[in-house]
Amino acid sequence: MSTTRTNNSGFGARLGAWRDQHIYSLLSSLGRIVSKPFSTFLIVGVMAIAMALPLALGMVLLNVQRVSGTVQAAREMSVFLKPEISIEQARALAKKCAERNDVEKVTVVSPDEGLAEFRKLSDLAQSVDLLGSNPLPSVLKIRPKDDGMALAEALKQWPEADVVQHDGQWRQRLNAWLSLGERMLKILSVLFGVGVLLVVGNTVRLDIGTRREEIAVMQQLGATDGFIRRPFLYLGFWYGLAAGALALGLSLAAGLALDERLRPLLASYDSRFELQGPDLMMVLALLASSAILGWLGAWLATGHHLRQTRPTDL
Amino acid sequence: MPVLRFDAVSKTYTGPHNALNDISFSVDAGEMLFVTGHSGAGKSTLLKLIHLSERATRGTVLVNDKNLAKVRGRQVALHRRQVGVVHQDHHLLMDRSVFDNVALPLLIEGVPSKEIGKRVRLVLEKVSLASKEKTRPSELSSGEQQRVGIARALIAQPLLLLADEPTGNLDPSLAAEIMGLLATLSAQGSSVIIASHDLALVKRMRKRVLVLSQGKLMDDIAPEELAP
Repeated sequence: MSTTRTNNSGFGARLGAWRDQHIYSLLSSLGRIVSKPFSTFLIVGVMAIAMALPLALGMVLLNVQRVSGTVQAAREMSVFLKPEISIEQARALAKKCAERNDVEKVTVVSPDEGLAEFRKLSDLAQSVDLLGSNPLPSVLKIRPKDDGMALAEALKQWPEADVVQHDGQWRQRLNAWLSLGERMLKILSVLFGVGVLLVVGNTVRLDIGTRREEIAVMQQLGATDGFIRRPFLYLGFWYGLAAGALALGLSLAAGLALDERLRPLLASYDSRFELQGPDLMMVLALLASSAILGWLGAWLATGHHLRQTRPTDL
Repeated sequence: MPVLRFDAVSKTYTGPHNALNDISFSVDAGEMLFVTGHSGAGKSTLLKLIHLSERATRGTVLVNDKNLAKVRGRQVALHRRQVGVVHQDHHLLMDRSVFDNVALPLLIEGVPSKEIGKRVRLVLEKVSLASKEKTRPSELSSGEQQRVGIARALIAQPLLLLADEPTGNLDPSLAAEIMGLLATLSAQGSSVIIASHDLALVKRMRKRVLVLSQGKLMDDIAPEELAP
């Protein structure tokens, strides 16, 4: 045997060796997962549930935001004028109102038009007929340019205005709730993300414990920290990816179960609203972030072990 | 130029306990020598300093003219690739085949997989284990396991081979076989340092002997000085 060491410094050879090392780590980590199906199921299950909770909250928020968007779009306000205000006076008021900078459009609904609309939408039309005369006032339907809060306050001061119907305050409250929900989602995501990190870290730590001798042998043979760490990083990556996929499955299953009960309920309100699941980008983001969390947890655990065992005994 | 040089090296453990005290010697390329002495004499500590599992408290250890005190971080791993190690208790991975165990240093070094196959088979032939490449170490005899350990140390073509009581668990005939393998390696250019307290075996091999006692180098005996 010659003591001349083989020269593996060519770029192609190094690239091939790097690929071989990664394939070795990838397959060996996958092999470890497959060889312990029950243990893997428990670990992935815990991680998946931790991920599914913020994911489900995210889905709820997504759907509430869709509803809220529809509500936000309907920002029109109605000014019910006093019964003694004639249609001509109403038109004059509409013209005056349209001149304001914060008004986009004003439509006058006369008492006759209001009654016709009422007859179409309500079963009480026959009761109205019994009254003999049209009890409805003229109404100004106003679409503001902004949120309409200031406009509504100004219109309430008009002596001709009887009632100003405006949902601005309700919308503000809804926005506040949505904002609170978003903040809760962020907090829960961080908390459960840290939980996933700790679960993977602890799992990899236990795995390192069972492979302590193997690691020591590799260190003695000249393995770098990167080489030793790599199979564990892949292990964390697989756990994270599998947990992300399972969390997604659990959330979708929960969504389907809710949808089954929600559909008839919404149908009774003549609503066409449908529960929406995550889109492709959300799915990819979830899988990527869960895999990265798994990788990071493994990186922390192996880093801790490698720092503790340096240098090893002969 | 010597492959290994110890200049006034001492190693003190907390206690304090002087495991090595002012040791100086050098080893040439292709030289085979024994380090002998009673338990606690400092044989294993000496090997640990060369392998960088421990660092000297005082003095200088040079491997291929490189001062090991200056070898840090990733360089430690690269240094260990130049130094093969054979243990008394083999330190094999029992859940891997003989092939995988022997291939491990090459995989660590980043040798392409095609070349790994060729080199593993070649070295397994040298240690007469070609037919056992798929066998798990647990199915092998102690002598065969030791030969797997030697094959693993040989395959990376080390500059230096350190063997810590490599024949401790073996009967005399197997011990002679293992020593023959190590002598062949030395003849092919690697320096081989064997720690052993088996004086009969040391005398039989007729190689240079460093005698340690309580951490001190008591004697450095040339082969021709050993009685036949």
